[in-house]
Amino acid sequence: MTPAELRRIANRIRRRDVQAVFEAGAGHIGGEMSVIDLLTCLYFHELSVDPADPLDPERDRLILSKGHTALALYIVLSEKGFIPKQEISTFLGHRSRLNGHPNRVYVPGVETNTGPLGHGLPVGVGMAKAAKLDRRSWRTFVITGDGEMQEGSNWEAIMTAAQFRLDNLTLIIDHNRLQQGASLADTNELAPFAPKLAAFGWHVEEIDGHDPAGICRAVSRATGTPDKPKCIVAHTNKGHGISFMSDNVAWHHKVPNVEQYEQAMAELAEAAE
Amino acid sequence: MVEMVSRPYARAFEAFAAGNPDILCLSADLTSSCEIDGFRDRHPDQFVSLGMAEQNMMSFAGGLGLAGFRPFLHTFGVFMYRRPYDQLIASIAYPRRKVRLMGFLPGVTTPGGMTHQAIEDIAVMRSIPNMTILETGDATEVESICAAADSVDGPVWCRVLRGSVPRLFDTPIRLGEMRVLAAGTDVLVVTSGICTEEAMRARAALAKAGVSIRHLHLHTIKPFDAAALLDHIGSVKHGVVTLENHVTEGGVGSLVAETMADAGIGKRLIRLGLKDSFAHGGSRPYLMRYYGLDALALVRGIADLTGAAFDITEEDLAAARVDEVHSLVKAEAL
Repeated sequence: MTPAELRRIANRIRRRDVQAVFEAGAGHIGGEMSVIDLLTCLYFHELSVDPADPLDPERDRLILSKGHTALALYIVLSEKGFIPKQEISTFLGHRSRLNGHPNRVYVPGVETNTGPLGHGLPVGVGMAKAAKLDRRSWRTFVITGDGEMQEGSNWEAIMTAAQFRLDNLTLIIDHNRLQQGASLADTNELAPFAPKLAAFGWHVEEIDGHDPAGICRAVSRATGTPDKPKCIVAHTNKGHGISFMSDNVAWHHKVPNVEQYEQAMAELAEAAE
Repeated sequence: MVEMVSRPYARAFEAFAAGNPDILCLSADLTSSCEIDGFRDRHPDQFVSLGMAEQNMMSFAGGLGLAGFRPFLHTFGVFMYRRPYDQLIASIAYPRRKVRLMGFLPGVTTPGGMTHQAIEDIAVMRSIPNMTILETGDATEVESICAAADSVDGPVWCRVLRGSVPRLFDTPIRLGEMRVLAAGTDVLVVTSGICTEEAMRARAALAKAGVSIRHLHLHTIKPFDAAALLDHIGSVKHGVVTLENHVTEGGVGSLVAETMADAGIGKRLIRLGLKDSFAHGGSRPYLMRYYGLDALALVRGIADLTGAAFDITEEDLAAARVDEVHSLVKAEAL
C-alpha cells in the first residue's frame, strides 16, 4: 500500500475517532490522534493478520500497551474487518464490547488486555520468547506511550528482551512528549529514549511517527540488527491533525463541544482532500 | 518415627517437567532457593532465568501462556504477589492463563521477618476470580503438587515446602478433595500446610485426655467442597477449631466460618493462626509457639471450645517429626 493510501485511511480513522468520542462523551482523543498513523501502517502494510482467522497461530501479534487509546485500535480493527464498522457507534455504551480498554476475550484482534500501563511490553517479551522457543517466524509488536515508560516494569522487560536476543520483537514508543497532566519534561523526563534503549542493547530507529513511508520502513523486517530487539522512537504530536488539540496537554481526554467538534471534523476533511 | 524427605520438590519437579516441552521453568534469581538448580543444569532448554524482575516475570509468563506454554514460576511466595499483583491480575488471572505460581516459604517457615513471610497470600488469592489454591503439608504433597497444579485449566497458586519435609501421607494430592485424618465425634479440627503436622502431634495426647477429634487436612483451599465440610461439622458435638500458617482473616479459618454462616450452622468456631499481626524474624518452632500456630495452641483452643481443662504439656505431645529440623543447628537460609 502506498504512503498516500495509508494517509487516506488514517485520515478516515481520525474522523471516525473524533466522531465516536464526541458521541460517546468520553475517550482519549489526544493520544488516539498521535497513535493512529502507527496503527494504520502496521495493520494495512506490515502485520500478517487475518480477520477471518484472528487466532491463526502464525499471525503477527500487536499489543497496544497504551490501552486507554483503545478506540483508535477498535476503529483500525473495524476498517480491517475484525469487527463490524457500525459497531464503533456502541463505544462505551451499555453492553458494548468496546470498552475503554481493549478486552481480548470479547474483541477479535485484541491480543491481550491492556490498561494498566507498563503491562504490554512484558507480555510481548513473553510472546516473542515463545515464538523463539517454538522456532516460528511470526513477529510481536508493542506500542507504548512515552509517559508509560516511567513504569519500571518496562525496563525489566527491556533488559529481558535484550538478554534473550529477541529480534522478533519491535517496541514502538509513541513519543508525543505529553502525559495525562503535564509534559514528560515537567514530570519525569525520560527523553532522549534512543540512547537509553541502545545502551540496553536494542537496535533503535527514530522516525516521524506521522510519516507513513518512514513508519513502514522502520517496522519492516529489513530494518534491524540480528539478535537485537528493535525499538522505534516515533516522534508524534498528541492531538495530531487538529490544530487546537495538537501538542496541547489539555486534550488528553477532553471531549470536544459542538463548535470544537465541527472545527476538528472540518480540518480533517480538508486534510483528506 | 516420621520419615524426613530431603528436597522433595527438586526431584518431583524434574521428574514431572523433564521432557515435556510445553512446561517451562521460570526463576527470578532464587533458583537454588527454590530447589530448581539441578533442573536448570540438566534441562537448560526448559529453564528461563528472568533475574530479579518479578513484574516482568509475571507478564512474561502471561505471554508464554498465550502461545500455549505452561510456565511454572519459582520464587518466594511474597515476591510472587506483593510486587507484581497488578500483573498477576491482568496477565494471568483474568485471561485464565495456565501459569503455575510456585510460592516458597509460606507463612512463618522463613525467619526472614515481615518482608519474606507470606502470611496473607491465601486471603488475597481466595478473592481473585479464576484462581486455584493448593498448599502442601508434607513431602508426598510436595511430590504431587506439580501434577495437581498442571491439571488445572487456569492459574494455580501453590504454597510449597522446601528443604527437609516430613512424610505424613501415602497418597498424592487429589484436587478438590480433603484428607480425613481422624473421624472422632467431639471436635472437628481443620488444618492445612505445616499446621497439620502440629495437629497430628496433639491428637494422641488429646485422645488420652478423652477428647474424640475429627481431623481434616486441606491441600486444596480453592475450589472447596463445602458440602463435605458441613457433613463433618454435623458429625461432631462441640464445634470446630481451625489452625493455619496464615492470618486468620481470609484463610482457612475464614473459609470454614463462611461455610458455616452460609449454611446457618450454629456451632462454635475457634480460628487459630496469626491474629491481625505481622510476624517477626525467628526460628520456625519459636514463631509457631510465639504466635500460637503449634500443637500446644491447638490444645488450648480445644480446651476453650469444650470447656475441659487439659493437663497437657509439650512433653506429652507426640513427636510427629524428628528433631533434626526443629533444632536451630541449621538456620533456614534466606
